[in-house]
Amino acid sequence: MRSARLFALVLANLRRSRNHFLLASIGIVVGIATFAFFLALGLGVRAVVLGKIFPLDKLEVVPRSLEVDVGPLRMGLGQDALDDAMAAKLGALPGVTAVYPKMKLTVGSIAYGGESLFGADLRSEIVADGIDPALLASEINKDGYQFVDHETPERLAAEPPKACTADAECGDKMYCGEPPGTTTPRRGTRKKPGPDGQPDQPEPAKVCRHFVPVIVSHHVVELYNGTLRRAHGFPQLNPDAVRGFTFDLIIGESMVETSNQDQVIHDRGMFVGFSDKAIPLGITLPLGYVQRYNVRYNGEDAAQRYHSVILEIPVKDDVAAVAKGVEDLDLKVKDSGAEEAALLIAVFMMVFGLVSAVIVGIAAVNIMHVFFMLVYERQREIGVMRAVGASRGDIGRIILGEAASLGTMAGTAGIVLAVTAGTIFDHVSARYVPDFPYKPTTYFDFPWWLIVAALGFSISFCVLGALLPARRAAHMEPARVLSGA
Amino acid sequence: MIRVRGMHKSYRTGKLVTPVLHGVDLDVADGEMVSIVGPSGSGKSTLLHAIGGLDRDYEGTIEVDGRDLRAMSDVELSAYRNRHVGFVFQAFNLLHHQTCVENVALPALFARGEGMLSREQALDRAREVLGRVDLHDKVDALPTTLSGGQRQRVAIARALFNRPRLMLCDEPTGNLDSVMGKAIIELFRRLNEEDGITLVVVTHDPKIAASTQRTVRVQDGLVLEGAGDALEAEAAAAENSSNTADAEASAEGSADPESADVPEDPADAPAQEALA
Ligand SMILES: Nc1ncnc2c1ncn2[C@@H]1O[C@H](COP(=O)(O)OP(=O)(O)O)[C@@H](O)[C@H]1O
Ligand SMILES: [Mg+2]
Repeated sequence: MRSARLFALVLANLRRSRNHFLLASIGIVVGIATFAFFLALGLGVRAVVLGKIFPLDKLEVVPRSLEVDVGPLRMGLGQDALDDAMAAKLGALPGVTAVYPKMKLTVGSIAYGGESLFGADLRSEIVADGIDPALLASEINKDGYQFVDHETPERLAAEPPKACTADAECGDKMYCGEPPGTTTPRRGTRKKPGPDGQPDQPEPAKVCRHFVPVIVSHHVVELYNGTLRRAHGFPQLNPDAVRGFTFDLIIGESMVETSNQDQVIHDRGMFVGFSDKAIPLGITLPLGYVQRYNVRYNGEDAAQRYHSVILEIPVKDDVAAVAKGVEDLDLKVKDSGAEEAALLIAVFMMVFGLVSAVIVGIAAVNIMHVFFMLVYERQREIGVMRAVGASRGDIGRIILGEAASLGTMAGTAGIVLAVTAGTIFDHVSARYVPDFPYKPTTYFDFPWWLIVAALGFSISFCVLGALLPARRAAHMEPARVLSGA
Repeated sequence: MIRVRGMHKSYRTGKLVTPVLHGVDLDVADGEMVSIVGPSGSGKSTLLHAIGGLDRDYEGTIEVDGRDLRAMSDVELSAYRNRHVGFVFQAFNLLHHQTCVENVALPALFARGEGMLSREQALDRAREVLGRVDLHDKVDALPTTLSGGQRQRVAIARALFNRPRLMLCDEPTGNLDSVMGKAIIELFRRLNEEDGITLVVVTHDPKIAASTQRTVRVQDGLVLEGAGDALEAEAAAAENSSNTADAEASAEGSADPESADVPEDPADAPAQEALA
């Protein structure tokens, strides 16, 4: 009750000296706004960069000798150190909760189609890899779409594909095509089927087949929506609308003449979903398809020749230890740029943290001056309060209480200013800045601890500034100012 | 009630040491009304502040009701000032941004323990005390709108707020004209006689000194019992003509009613003189 009463006095004093305090607190408001704004910006950008662009909870392990893939022009492959045995060893490293072996499609291939999406059929060299579909089951298999290997030898044996002459004879998400694994001599671009679903030329006996399920990374959509579509005047893609989109896959054919094979495989693919586990630029198939394609063109050995293994490490602190374990297995961690990005953002946040600390520090000195002045102005009043029973501690607490209240108000104002500025920034970005890959709807993240830290920062600097004046006020001799006319 | 023994006090300003009191002995009995006279700068205020627990930086002992003031902690001493002592100053020392009733209730803010009152209780009591000094109609007025005599009565009400047993008054009529001063002294006498409050009044006014049961004189750093010849001479001079009052009286005790009604923070003439 006593402190409540003193607090009322504190508030009355603040009101009485509001002009002084208003001036004194501008520096604090600006400093705290700077602090909150740039820290929230750093956190928001970091969330985008590390959460979506370079997830830090995964490490991609590659053989030391394998060169970084350069798209359709595949470099000569070194000896492949990544097989099932090695994947098991990696999975046994402490901190690793899951292992995703990945296999690149090592034969040139082409995708063709897209009229329904782009308004015209596109033909494109593709980069593809394969991943164990079991690892994506929970993520992808919904709304009737499935990321599974429909054509494992076991399945084909158990349920041989039935003969057909047209897509309509087959079930949902199936088409009528060449039997699995059929190779035909390459003869240029495959013709688009006519309106009746029949190809122009007679084909070998056809069977009902599942589409090859294909997933892509969000990166692909981001990249497409952010830049590519602009260059080509294509419509914006809604990721959900892409599901179910089908296209032709021609394995063994390439736009690069030297990559062409004599025999090609005609399959058809269907987009079934998106995942961060998909290859960043390209398409990802269930591992079995890629294994079979690679074996077809590169021999039996290719079945176990993984190009990388993704390790899932949910606890960030384990990452360093896992990386060390990877080195010990004579493998290497593929540099994702995440560390550099994280460092860059940390430096950015530190610089602005420092700038705001300097602003708030200077403001605290200003606050100190104002409080010294106030204490001087109020010395008679302070003497009166001492005479009627205020202890030194009471006087000190009143002054510091004023400083803390000032800090709370200035800090709140600073945070409001920062949030407002952030909202305006986001708004301007949404309306006037053209799309770019990973353009976020908000660049800011104001977690509760940032608000608490900003308030604490503001209050402590105000209190710090008022510390010496409060001390002087508490130790003033009341007698001197009270006696006399 | 008050027992001062062998009190020494010097002020230090930098390297300069100004001895003020050297070996003061003083006893004030319960219910007594004592006036303290003495030349300007002799240490009357210094003695009063020490008795009131505003200053602990002295040698010797001061006991009030058997309690050694210097042995108390700052908090205990603050509680002593809050509950047992009422101060009245020459300059009134009211907070000009607060109303009369708020000024009077100020001690309630710093009450501790069982002396604590709610805001409403405190304001009620403040109104009641203002009634006792005949200021019921000025409860919500700001002190700056009052005359000097009224302001001093507000200050007295503030001193009375916690029903102290001891009132220490430092030249309470120094800023008032003689009519108002007389009324204040009348009020003091009533408080002393009706409520049994012990009063120690520092004064330059020989008439006030003469009207108290007992007068002591601070001179040359000592307290001398009785007014002495000088006081009687002053009293006599005052009887004859107020113009022939000695130099100190005219210097310190301004009797001009205009200048007594001081705006905001009154100029601190004697304090400036003391600091010079
Ligand atoms: N705070 C102080 N610092 C230094 N000297 C002081 C202080 N207060 C009073 N003095 C000196 O002590 C002496 C006594 O002062 P004071 O007790 O106010 O005298 P009085 O009330 O009798 O006029 C004076 O000489 C004055 O100059
Ligand atoms: Mg004095």
